[in-house]
Amino acid sequence: MQKKLEEIRVAAKNALAAAEDAKAVDDLRVQYLGKKGEITAILKQMGSLSAEERPKMGQLANEVRADIEAEIASALSVMKEKALKLRLEKERVDVSIPGTVSELGSLHPLNSTLNKLIDIFKSMGFDVVDGPEVETDYYNFEALNVPADHPARDMQDTFYLTENILLRTQTSATQIRTMEKRKPPIRMICPGRVYRSDDVDATHSPVFHQVEGLVIDKGITMCDLKGTLETMAKEIYGSDTKVKFRPSFFPFTEPSVEVDVSCSECGGKGCRVCKGSGWIEILGAGMVHPKVLEGCGIDPNEYSGFAFGIGLDRLTTTRHKISDIRLLFENDLRFLKQF
Amino acid sequence: MKVSLEHLKSYVEINVSAEELCDRMVMAGFEVEEAINTAETMKNVVVGKILKITPHENSDHLLICQIDVGADEPVQIVTGADNVFEGAYVPAALNNSLLPNGMNIKSGKLRGVASNGMLCSGGELCITEEDYKGAGVNGILILNEEYAPGTDMREVLGLNDWIIDFKITANRPDCQSFLGIAREIGVVLGTEFKLPVPSFETVGDDINNYMQVEVKNFDICPRYIGRFVKNLKIGPSPEWMKRALKASGMRSINNIVDITNFVMLETGQPLHAFDYSDIKGSKIIVRNATEGEKITTLDDKEHTLSSEMLVIADAESPSCLAGIMGGLNSEIKDTTKNLFLESAKFRRDSVRRTSRAVGVRTESSARFERGTDIMNTEYASNRALQLIYELEAGEIVDGVLDVNNGLPAERELIVSVQKINALLGLNIPAEKMVSILNSLHIPTTMIGDTLKCKIPSFRDDIEYMADIAEEVMRIYGYDHIVGTPINAAVLRGTLTKERAVDDSLKSLLTANGMYEIATYSFIGSHTTEMLDLPEGDSRLNYIKILNPLGDEYSVMRTQLVTSMLTVISTNMNRKNADARFFEISKRFVPKALPLVEQPNELKTLALGIYGDGEDFYTLKGLVEQVLKTLNTTAHFERADEPYLHPGRAAKAVVGGKTVAVFGEVHPTTADKFDLNARAYVAEIYLDMLSENENPLVIYSPLPKFPAVSRDLALLCNSETPVGDLLDIIKNAGGKLLENVSIFDIYEGAQIPEGKKSVAFNLTLRSPEATLTDEQIETVMNRVIKKLDAAGAELRR
Repeated sequence: MQKKLEEIRVAAKNALAAAEDAKAVDDLRVQYLGKKGEITAILKQMGSLSAEERPKMGQLANEVRADIEAEIASALSVMKEKALKLRLEKERVDVSIPGTVSELGSLHPLNSTLNKLIDIFKSMGFDVVDGPEVETDYYNFEALNVPADHPARDMQDTFYLTENILLRTQTSATQIRTMEKRKPPIRMICPGRVYRSDDVDATHSPVFHQVEGLVIDKGITMCDLKGTLETMAKEIYGSDTKVKFRPSFFPFTEPSVEVDVSCSECGGKGCRVCKGSGWIEILGAGMVHPKVLEGCGIDPNEYSGFAFGIGLDRLTTTRHKISDIRLLFENDLRFLKQF
Repeated sequence: MKVSLEHLKSYVEINVSAEELCDRMVMAGFEVEEAINTAETMKNVVVGKILKITPHENSDHLLICQIDVGADEPVQIVTGADNVFEGAYVPAALNNSLLPNGMNIKSGKLRGVASNGMLCSGGELCITEEDYKGAGVNGILILNEEYAPGTDMREVLGLNDWIIDFKITANRPDCQSFLGIAREIGVVLGTEFKLPVPSFETVGDDINNYMQVEVKNFDICPRYIGRFVKNLKIGPSPEWMKRALKASGMRSINNIVDITNFVMLETGQPLHAFDYSDIKGSKIIVRNATEGEKITTLDDKEHTLSSEMLVIADAESPSCLAGIMGGLNSEIKDTTKNLFLESAKFRRDSVRRTSRAVGVRTESSARFERGTDIMNTEYASNRALQLIYELEAGEIVDGVLDVNNGLPAERELIVSVQKINALLGLNIPAEKMVSILNSLHIPTTMIGDTLKCKIPSFRDDIEYMADIAEEVMRIYGYDHIVGTPINAAVLRGTLTKERAVDDSLKSLLTANGMYEIATYSFIGSHTTEMLDLPEGDSRLNYIKILNPLGDEYSVMRTQLVTSMLTVISTNMNRKNADARFFEISKRFVPKALPLVEQPNELKTLALGIYGDGEDFYTLKGLVEQVLKTLNTTAHFERADEPYLHPGRAAKAVVGGKTVAVFGEVHPTTADKFDLNARAYVAEIYLDMLSENENPLVIYSPLPKFPAVSRDLALLCNSETPVGDLLDIIKNAGGKLLENVSIFDIYEGAQIPEGKKSVAFNLTLRSPEATLTDEQIETVMNRVIKKLDAAGAELRR
C-alpha cells in the first residue's frame, strides 16, 4: 500500500506537470482526490491493515494528499499567471490610433470675443447692461445730441420701422437709458446688435455688433479713456499693442477721437491687414458731451465721463484674421469648428 | 471734399510734401479719403512731331509714321487714325508707357510692321474738350501749339497736381470750402493763410433801378443778398478756374456759371445766378411754396411742392427751390444779358427736409444742409463780383440788396484753463492754448485763469468748454494724451442675471457638441409664410422695415426657425454631413400693428440638428437638459405645428404655457428650405424661463441600505404614450421607488397586432432599512394594479 501511495504521488506530480490547462488540472484533482479518486480508493482499503499499520498508512495517505493539493495549487497559480500574461498580450491596442472623443461645440467667434471683452471690463469694474434693439428716435439720436434734420444723421443710414421707431444704429442709445436710471458713479458696457443700411460686402453688414462703454464720475479725464482702452487693447491684441487717438467727430462726445491700435500682424510696420498704415481702426470714443450729460440730469460742472463704441465684428475679424465679415453670418460648420 | 493741392497753394503756403500734408491733416481731424498724384496717372507720353507718313502695305487703313520725339532717331509708330498729317504735333505714348485709362503701351508689330508705341486720342488721355481744345475730335489729338518734341505730355496738360479728398466731419461745415481747408492747413503747418480780399469797380447805376427783394420767411431765410451785373460777356472760363473746378468734380459750363460754382467751392457759400430777363415783375420773393405749386428745375424735372418748402419766386411763380436747385425758366443762357446774383442763408434743417422730399441733392444743398455762415454771404457775393470784374465778364451795378432780420451778435465764450486741463488730464500751459486758438482764428485773450474766446461766425459748432478743449487738443496733438488708470472708487463689475443664464446654457449646449450661430434679425417678407402657419397665427404679425435693403431683409423675425432652417440648408448643401447648431437671439413681437410703440423683444433659444444618430429623442434630450438647466419641470405634449412632422412634434408645457416647441421638420417644409435629409429643430422661449433661478443645492445623505431591482414587462396598445405609463409607475411607486427607466419597447413578432411590449426597470430602496420581500411585493402589486387599470397588463 505504501508503494502504491508513493506511485500515486509520483504519477500525480508528473500528470500535473504535464497538464496544459485548468480543466486538465481539475480532471486530475478529481482523478486523485475526488470521492471516487485514487487516494480515496486506497483509504477504503485501510480496513485490511493492521492496527499498527493503519495510522502510519493514514498519515502517509494524508501526506500524499496534501502534496498533491499543493501541486495542484501551484499548477493552477502558474497557469493563472500564464493565462493573465496571455490575455494582456492579446489585449494590446494600437496606441497610435486617435482617441475617441465626444465632440465639443463652440461659441460663435463674435461671442467668444465678446466674452473676452466682458471679462476685461468686468475686472475694471464695468457692469454689463443690455438695451432694446428697436429704439425710439429720442434715444438713438435726439438725446445723443443729434436733433431731427441734423447733418450728423447722414453718418448713419438708419432702418426705420415707423417715423419715430427705428433699429438702433448704435449701442450709444443705452448710454442715455443708463444715465436716466442710475446716478454717477457709472461704469458700464453695453454689448449688442446694431443695424445700418449698408449693402453687404466683405467689410460691411447691415447687422453688426458694438460694445458701448460709458464711465461717469468726478474727475474722469481723456487720459483715463486712453488708459482704459490700452488695457483692453493689450488684452485682446497682445501686450506690445499701442493705442493711437485721432481727432474725429461724434455728436455725443467732445472731444471725439477715432482709436487705432498698432497692427498685430506686422507690429506697426505696415502690411496687407492694416493696408500699409501699421494701424487698425477699431473704435470711436470721446468725452461725454456736456449737452448729453445735461439732458440726462447730470451736472457737467460736477461730473465728467468718457464713452466708447467698439466694433465687435471688426475686433473679431482682425483678431482672428477673418478676411470677410460675411463668414460670420453664413454659419458654415467648417468655419464655426475653427473656433 | 476734393481739392487741387496746386490751387490750395494760392491761399496758403504749403512747405511739405503732399503725403506729409495728408498725414498731418489727419492728425488735426481731417481724414483723407484719397490722395491722387495726377502725375502718376501718365508716364512716358511725350509730344511727337510727325515727320513722314507712309502707307502700310498689308493694310488699307493703317499708316506708318516716323515721329520726332526729341531723340537722336525718329520713332516708328503705326496708327489707324486718318486725321494725322506730316508736321502735326501729337501725343506719342512710347514703349513702356502708362496712360491715365490704365493701359500699358509696349513696342510690337502691327501686321508685320514694327510699331514702337501709340499715338493717342483725347479719350485715351482721359481729357475732354474742356481740358484741351481739340481733345474731343474723333482721331488722334492734334496739339494746337508747337511744343518741343519730347516734351512730357503731363506738362502740356498740367498733370503735376495732387487731388486730395478730405473727409469733412459734420461739425465743420466751414471746411466744405477751399478757404476753410486752407485755413486749417495754415494752422497745422504754421504757415501764412492769405484770405483773398475782394475788390472791384462798379459802373455806377443802382441795383434798385432793376430789382427788388422781399423775404417773407426770415425764419428759414435769415439773410438774402442780391447783386446785379449787366452787359454780360458769356464765354469760356480761364484754364486755372476750369482745373480747380475739375479737381473738385465740377464741370465747366461758361464763365458766369463757373464763377458761381467756383465761389461756392472756394467760400462754402452757394450762389445762384438768375437771367434777369426771366424774373417777372423785377422782383424776387422768398416765400413758402403754396401747396401743390409746381416747379421745373434745371435738370428738367418737374416737382410738386408743399407749403413747408421754401422757394425763390418772382412776381408770378417759383424760380428756385431755395438752396437746392435753380429753375429751368431762369437759368443763365449764352444769350443772357443781365444777371441777378443771389447769396443767401437758408436754414439747414429746412433745406435738408426739402431736398429729401423732392429727391434732389446738389453741391449747394449739401452745403446748406450742413450749415452755412450768415456772415459769409456778403464775402461770397463780393468775391463773385471780383471775379466777374477781373475776368471782364460783365459790368457791375452799384448797390447791394441785403435783406435780413438783424444779424447775430458776436459770441464770446469764457472757459477755465484748469477745467480744460482737468477734462483732458493734461497740463497744457494757458499761453499755449491762447496761441493755438488765435491761430485757429478764434481771437482769444487770457484773463486770470480763464480764456476769453471770440467765436467767429463760421464756427457755430463751438458752444462749450469741451469744444474749446477739442480745438486746443487737436492742434496740441493727441500724442500728448498718456493712458492712466481710472482714479476713482473701486467698483465691482456685474453681469445681468439674463446674461448669466445665457452663459450657463451656452456651456451646456457646447458641451453637447453644439455650435453657436449668428443670423440676421430681419428676414425676407415671405420667409415666415414658408412655415405654412395658419391664418391668425401671431407669428404672421411681423414688423416691416420701411426702408429695407431688399425684400430678403425686410421684416423683423417673429421666430428663429426659418433662420435655423436656412443655416441647416446651407450646411447640408455644402455637404457638411452632420451638425448641431444653436442660437440665442430675439423675436420681435409687436404689441399692436401698425406699430405705435417699441415691440417686445423676446429672447429665444433655437436648436437645430441633423445627421447620423440624430432623431426626435436626441433633440428632446437637449430640450430636457436646457429646461433642467433653467430649473424647469415641464410636461410634454404632442404639438401641432405646421412646419413639424405631425407624428414627431412636441411642446413643453409649464403651468399651461408652452415654453418650447420642437420636433422633426415636416417633409414639405424641408423641401421648401431645400433640406436633403431629416432635420430637427426646437424653439425654447427663454423670455418665459429666465426668471427661474437654480436654487442652492442641499446635500442628501448617500444611501446606507441596498437597493432592489425589479423588471416589469407590459403589454399595452401601440397608441398608449409610454410617458403616461412612466408617470403611473412614478405615482404608484411612492417613496420607496428610487428610479424607473425604460429598457425595451417592442412591436412585432409574438406581440398581438395593435399592441406593443414595454419593459421597465424599477429600483426600490428605503433610507431606513433593507427592504423586505413583503415591502417589495406591496409596491410592485400597487404599480401593477394601477398599470392594469390603465390598460397595460403584465406580460407573463
